[in-house]
Amino acid sequence: MARPAHVRFAVGVLLAGALGSGLSFKFTREAVRHETADVERRQAVVKLGGLTALVGRAGGDGDALRKAVAAWQAQEKDVAQVRVLVMAGLRLEASTAAADAGDRAAPRRLQREEKPFYDRGQRLATAVRTNREEETARKLEIEVAPAATGRRLSLAAPVEADGDIVGMVEIETTELPPEPAEPILPYILAVVAPLAVFGAGALFLGRRRWPLAALAVACVGGSLVWLLTTGTAHVEAARLGTAQRVADEVKAQAGLLASLSAPTSTPAPPAAPAVPSTWDADAYRRPLGLLTADGAVDKQKLAEVGRASDRALRRSLLSADGLALILLLFVGLGGANRLGRTLRRNRQAYLYIAPAMIGMLILVFFPFFYGITLSFTDSNLYNTNQPLSEIWVGLRNYSDILGDFSIVKQGEGGSVVNYLNFYWTLGFTIVWTVTNVTIGVTSGLILALILNTKALALRPMYRVLLILPWAMPNYITALIWKGMFHRQFGVINHVLQMFGIPALSWFDHPFTSYLTALATNGWLSFPFMMVVSLGALQSIPADIYEAARVDGANRWQAFKAITLPSLRPALVPAVIISVVWTFNMFNIIYLVTAGEPGGATEILVTQAYKFAFERYRYGYAAAYSTVIFAILLIYGFIQNRVSKATEA
Amino acid sequence: MARSRREEQIPHGPLHLILVVATLVTMYPVLWVITIAFSGKQSLAIADLPPDPSFFDRLRAVIPWPQHWSFSNFVSVMTDQPFGRWLLNSIIVAALTTLVGVFLSCTAAYAFSRFKFPGRRLGMMSFLVSQMFPGTLMLIPLYIIIVQVLGLGSTKIGLVIVYATTSIPFSVWMLKGYFDTIPKELEEAALIEGASAGQIFWRIVLPLAKPAVAITALFSFMSSWNEFILAATFMDKEDMYTAPVGLRFFVGGFSQQWGYFAAGSIIVSIPVVFLFLYLQKYLVSGLTAGSVKG
Repeated sequence: MARPAHVRFAVGVLLAGALGSGLSFKFTREAVRHETADVERRQAVVKLGGLTALVGRAGGDGDALRKAVAAWQAQEKDVAQVRVLVMAGLRLEASTAAADAGDRAAPRRLQREEKPFYDRGQRLATAVRTNREEETARKLEIEVAPAATGRRLSLAAPVEADGDIVGMVEIETTELPPEPAEPILPYILAVVAPLAVFGAGALFLGRRRWPLAALAVACVGGSLVWLLTTGTAHVEAARLGTAQRVADEVKAQAGLLASLSAPTSTPAPPAAPAVPSTWDADAYRRPLGLLTADGAVDKQKLAEVGRASDRALRRSLLSADGLALILLLFVGLGGANRLGRTLRRNRQAYLYIAPAMIGMLILVFFPFFYGITLSFTDSNLYNTNQPLSEIWVGLRNYSDILGDFSIVKQGEGGSVVNYLNFYWTLGFTIVWTVTNVTIGVTSGLILALILNTKALALRPMYRVLLILPWAMPNYITALIWKGMFHRQFGVINHVLQMFGIPALSWFDHPFTSYLTALATNGWLSFPFMMVVSLGALQSIPADIYEAARVDGANRWQAFKAITLPSLRPALVPAVIISVVWTFNMFNIIYLVTAGEPGGATEILVTQAYKFAFERYRYGYAAAYSTVIFAILLIYGFIQNRVSKATEA
Repeated sequence: MARSRREEQIPHGPLHLILVVATLVTMYPVLWVITIAFSGKQSLAIADLPPDPSFFDRLRAVIPWPQHWSFSNFVSVMTDQPFGRWLLNSIIVAALTTLVGVFLSCTAAYAFSRFKFPGRRLGMMSFLVSQMFPGTLMLIPLYIIIVQVLGLGSTKIGLVIVYATTSIPFSVWMLKGYFDTIPKELEEAALIEGASAGQIFWRIVLPLAKPAVAITALFSFMSSWNEFILAATFMDKEDMYTAPVGLRFFVGGFSQQWGYFAAGSIIVSIPVVFLFLYLQKYLVSGLTAGSVKG
């Protein structure tokens, strides 16, 4: 039952409006929070900067310092307590904390339980020295942390004298105001208004499809564009407000310091003239530079800094709007209707498939496409938290993998093979796969033919014993064989030595190392082929052989004309799947040879694993794996073609 | 009789010879691991060699028969080592995986086999193609989803979810091939008798498909019981290891506890080996039915 166009579009306008406005609300609120969240921290840092300058001016210790700190605290309502540490002698030089009264009043030596306080000072001092030595800003020189109780901040900065760190100033703010809320009314309006306008317009347009579509898009688009402009303006205002409040704080601090310095009569001049605008600093005590020298807001600089985040916000809002419009057209033009009808009609089928499909989507297909996305980035251990767009390298990983043909490198002592080269590993993998499958098919088929002999004694026993390798977990098999190939204690070397052949270091040479893996995999893979062949052999009716015999065919002719053709339908799929299994036989290579020597016997999948989890080059490993996938895909296509051609 | 005379033309002697050699080669590693397990020592040498060993000394070191029989490796691997706990983890994970995986696969395979609906071909193809996704490509994103997003690192549930879903495509193809061979007429008859779709699925199709379901369950159980890489990546707490990760722990890196490894290997292998041998009659029919249908 198709609903009329105007109803569909009305529903579409409602849904699209809700989606677009909801997402816009979310993105804008996040952006505003990001701008305002900083204000308290920055204000506190400015206060700390002022106080540090004051402490530095008062000389770092003594009564003058305590007096200055007490006076500062008296004026500063937003700071709950101040504590000043002097490293030499582990002294608490000044404190306005309620706990430091009576016999605990400053100045005094720190007590044992105050070690974290001292450690904080040590940490900052070390950070400053390290940063100076390395000429970088790597370690935090101002610590900002949530205080022990409530929504408060605890900040600490080092105190310098004569170019070295002599102490630390620590302040704790009073309870901070709750985070501001983004007004929700415009966003509700942005859902309701287009619906109303569309409803009114639809009265004139009737049920004509395309005019209705245009009207609906205009309504939703208009309201979303309005949200976009108000949202970005809002964010800009928030940014400016933050800067203004910080600037005010700087002015207040400068004034406070000036008023405090008037009564003190100490002749000691300040080590460096305090520049209040530099108090607005980051955690490395580098001025943010958003204020001009006289402490006003530098609007040009501010706009420059905000440009990147503005662009990001606009991009998210625009994509949300695009999503909303797609939803609108999908619902309005009847796509949703048709989808719903299909779902209803095949309800049962989809119900049966849904659980499996949802699991597959989340845990198979999504990881797959995420992995492919990762292959275009330079993702590694050090940048996993960065957004993918920032570590995007395009096709570089692929050109590094596929464009490097220097398998043989000219070293100092002649040429050496570069075992990390993709083409070496690919060649090895192909040799590995072909030899293994050949061995598996040959031995499996021979054993199956023997076991299929009628009236052979002990047949069931042989069969059970020969299947054993398939039944054993293959990682155990791998570890057993690794033990048997041990240089000193392994039984294989004992057998060699029994016949006077010197013991071999199996894993020191690519070829012998390959043989160990081949032996292991051959041992565990022939039973599969044997069982498949045996099953097919047993399904051949005995009368056919009887008929062939009556017609005068000998055993060889019967084998060629009857046995082989009847084996084919079972054997061909088995070979196809066993090629893929061997190609991806991770456990054997990883546990037996581990790629020794020097990665010579890695196959593609183990090499990709090592790039990811031993060299931590996630992006490169993802590209490597994608190439493996492409190879298997090509193999699948060719195999499909060939088997179709041979069937016809 | 003409027939039996003809059969006697192939002498059984050489055939037995080939089979005996093949069986010996097949059995040797198994006997070797049994020997190490019962040797009561952690060394991977079967016998201690004198400084200048003769042919027979070496022969003794090759014959898989321990110098002294001892149960001590089995006792201490289960008591001194946390292996019992690892085994329990493996049992729980494999059982849950089988249950969940087979249930999901049965319903999906039935729908793919019996219903015609838009997306059917696409769904089947996507399942097939997903079998070719390289595991290493999925490992990093899977780690992010399971450990970082869902917070299921070092839990059995996380491992069960991953194992069950990754086993679906193979199981679905396997079961679909089998469902296709069950005549539709049976279901049509039941429909006429007034059975609901659910009843048809549970009462008629599933019982008929028992061999294929058994083989699918076996594969599901074995693949999770034997899985090593994912378990090693997700389970980083030692008491949450599964048996494979634990066994590798005994002989990986600088650890050389071959006795514990061998004893543990035998304990781990026995259930799967017997399960496998018991269910192998389904194996042949299931595999060939699936593969002939393609």
